[in-house]
Amino acid sequence: MHPISSLIREANRIFFSMGFTLVDSPLLESDWYNFGGLNFPDDHPARDMQDTFFMKDEPGYLLRTHTSAAQVRYPEMQLKTGIQPPYRAVSIGKVFRNEATDMTHEAEFYQIEGLAIGGDVTLANLKGTLTRFFREIFDGSSAEVRFRPSFFPFTEPSVEVDMRITGPSAPEKLRDRWIEIGGAGMMHPNVIRNGGLDPNKYQGFAFGCGIDRIAILKWGIDDIRLMHSADLRFINQF
Amino acid sequence: MKISRDWLQTYFEKPLPEAQALADALTFHAFEIESITTYDVVMPLDSVLDVKITPNRGHDCLSHRGIAKELSAILNVPMKADSLHGGDTISIIPKTNAVKVHVEDSKLCPRFTGALIQGIKVGPSPEWLRVALESVGQKSINNIVDATNYIMFDIGQPLHAFDVSKIKDHKLEVKRTKKEEQFVALDDKGYALPKGTLVIADNEHALSIAGIKGGKPTGIDEATTDIFLEAANWDGVTIRKTSQVLKLRTDASDRFQQVISPELAVYGLRAAADLIVELAGGKIVDFVDEYPKSQEKRTVSVSTEKVNKVLGTKLADADVADVFTRLDLLFMQKGSEFTVDVPFERLDLVIPEDLIEEVARIVGYDKISATELPKFSRKPEVNPSFYAAEEAREELVAKGYSEVFTSVFAEEGERAVLNKVGGEKPYLRTTLVDGLKEACERNTRNRDLLGLKEVKLFEIGAVWKNGKEVVMLGTADSQGVRETTLPISGDTISRYEELPTSVTEHYQPFSRYPSITRDVSLWVPVKTDPEEVLALIREGAGELLVHSELFDTFAKGEKQSLAFRLVFQSFDRTLTDDDASTRMESVYVALKHKGFEIR
Repeated sequence: MHPISSLIREANRIFFSMGFTLVDSPLLESDWYNFGGLNFPDDHPARDMQDTFFMKDEPGYLLRTHTSAAQVRYPEMQLKTGIQPPYRAVSIGKVFRNEATDMTHEAEFYQIEGLAIGGDVTLANLKGTLTRFFREIFDGSSAEVRFRPSFFPFTEPSVEVDMRITGPSAPEKLRDRWIEIGGAGMMHPNVIRNGGLDPNKYQGFAFGCGIDRIAILKWGIDDIRLMHSADLRFINQF
Repeated sequence: MKISRDWLQTYFEKPLPEAQALADALTFHAFEIESITTYDVVMPLDSVLDVKITPNRGHDCLSHRGIAKELSAILNVPMKADSLHGGDTISIIPKTNAVKVHVEDSKLCPRFTGALIQGIKVGPSPEWLRVALESVGQKSINNIVDATNYIMFDIGQPLHAFDVSKIKDHKLEVKRTKKEEQFVALDDKGYALPKGTLVIADNEHALSIAGIKGGKPTGIDEATTDIFLEAANWDGVTIRKTSQVLKLRTDASDRFQQVISPELAVYGLRAAADLIVELAGGKIVDFVDEYPKSQEKRTVSVSTEKVNKVLGTKLADADVADVFTRLDLLFMQKGSEFTVDVPFERLDLVIPEDLIEEVARIVGYDKISATELPKFSRKPEVNPSFYAAEEAREELVAKGYSEVFTSVFAEEGERAVLNKVGGEKPYLRTTLVDGLKEACERNTRNRDLLGLKEVKLFEIGAVWKNGKEVVMLGTADSQGVRETTLPISGDTISRYEELPTSVTEHYQPFSRYPSITRDVSLWVPVKTDPEEVLALIREGAGELLVHSELFDTFAKGEKQSLAFRLVFQSFDRTLTDDDASTRMESVYVALKHKGFEIR
């Protein structure tokens, strides 16, 4: 099966077992859910961090640059049906960056976003959740997660996530090395508020990482474009 | 931003650790390091760190002083002196209005400070200044320009020096241009400034593009004796927009678009004016300071409980107090409640969570434990559309179909993107059919190599038609290419957790060169095992053989006919017919040697 589909299936299973619901979110997204609601100010340099495909003749619409819209969309959806936190959700799917492609860059790739909101969800919980996810998806006997300071408008504090996998069944090239794997943090109070919740009552973590990146690391794939090549010389190996 | 270790050292009494140790300190407590360069000849032993300053710290850390401040907190080493705090109040007297400045809209220019310096002598910069600028990748120009650049890289305030004799009537106006205007920049490049561009002008022309670049006509040259030194503060959004429109990014625009404090202007002005007098002589005869609305002082509060509640830590009040002390953040403490007086340059500190981040990164994220979430109070829901996709996937894979992902971009469609790099295929697809058809054709060329009788593909993906985003299921095989909407049943799910995943351990790189297919048929005795024959063929064919299979057999009396398909391919070149024929000769020889009859 396609390596991306296999990983999405596995990631979903791991998070499902930790209580996370998989949620849908559109690919053609509004500026609000992709940027504004996630605390990106208008005309702010933070928007340059991602090269965006904007829609022609549809002002305020774009191809989503990340799966993070779930941070606002999911609480909103839950509240509509009268369900209060705690929430746990993952959003998995295609995202877009308007850039030239090469062995390590694709304009279309896959991302997983996860979030947990409650009265007492902490940064330590984020570390614990990611540790388990990486251990399971990379078949490690153990995994460690390391945070480095970073900045995303939608999280405060924000961190870069590194992981280190150990154990005989972990991919050899990965074993016992620190690898950069994603971005994360505690949801910014403005984002909690934009989802319709009171940031004085609720807090949460959110993280995002590339499914393609996980595939590259897990199977030693040398070119990200293979994932989207529709080439069976690649796909039928999995 | 490029940060020189020698430059940083000017902020400390104690010798700083080696560059790698500085890089590690910053990496785990402040910023990513893109590279470390160590100079051996030009700047003996200096090392330069390329520090990736995050957008929230562009206010204060696009400067050596900002990075020194960070290192002081991280390494817990005091600074010798902080150019922005702890010294005497900056004096900018006299103000004689020798140069008159009018600011049209203070929203776009919250502060404009300037100094008139007369009797300077333009010349080369001293060694220390040239070395400092060159270490961070800047070219030395002359003592005046170098002084302004040095102060910008030192404390983060961009400055600009005008030759006063070239300013008409000694009057400056900060305004938006009333009509399109041609402008020649200091580097001789011409720009057409659109109407409404924010500029500094005399009563005739734009003299500089505000916050971005100075103009040629009022530039400093060897004959300059009197200068007007400008240190202003500009609206970030305006600078960002102008910079984008003109496709002109400068060290100044990078700083202004991230927004810097208007308080900083006067520190920059004073430091640069003093440095110029020191390097080029002359006398400061007048200051200007248009600053109608001072920056408000801000306090932010947080409690140790709140810090621990967000981070999941067990820090004590003393730990939190220690972080604020190391960061030189003045605070009032009442039990576990901290109220911080935010320094003017730290525009990033606004809400309690900002202070929590300061605590987390200075204490160190390694102090955060990995604690799994408790068991969830509710059962997670199964996603019906994902489940439907998984069902379809399983069914098709069982029938020998391979899943592909093709691009959402197409030659035609209902909706398009505005700004695609390269401009090709700007439309969003309305169907999966075209992508699948093309994928099918491409894979059919490799059918022998793949050992497939028929290429069978499917894709589950979004299309955009009739104004909606819909997920379709498309299939391609010898019967053609079809698509339907992905059928979503309302049934409850049985198999979410039992679905198989790939058991492949490693990806095997494959050759991108074309392959050559040859068939061989032969008569062999009925009892002969085709596997043995195939082994013989493989041995004879050598390592260029990448795929081989038995594809036809029939018996005729005591004899049976076997037909094999052989695919040859090289990893480093396109094979010729001769290559394949040579390999086939070896195969024939091996088969004949066994007494088999080639048909």
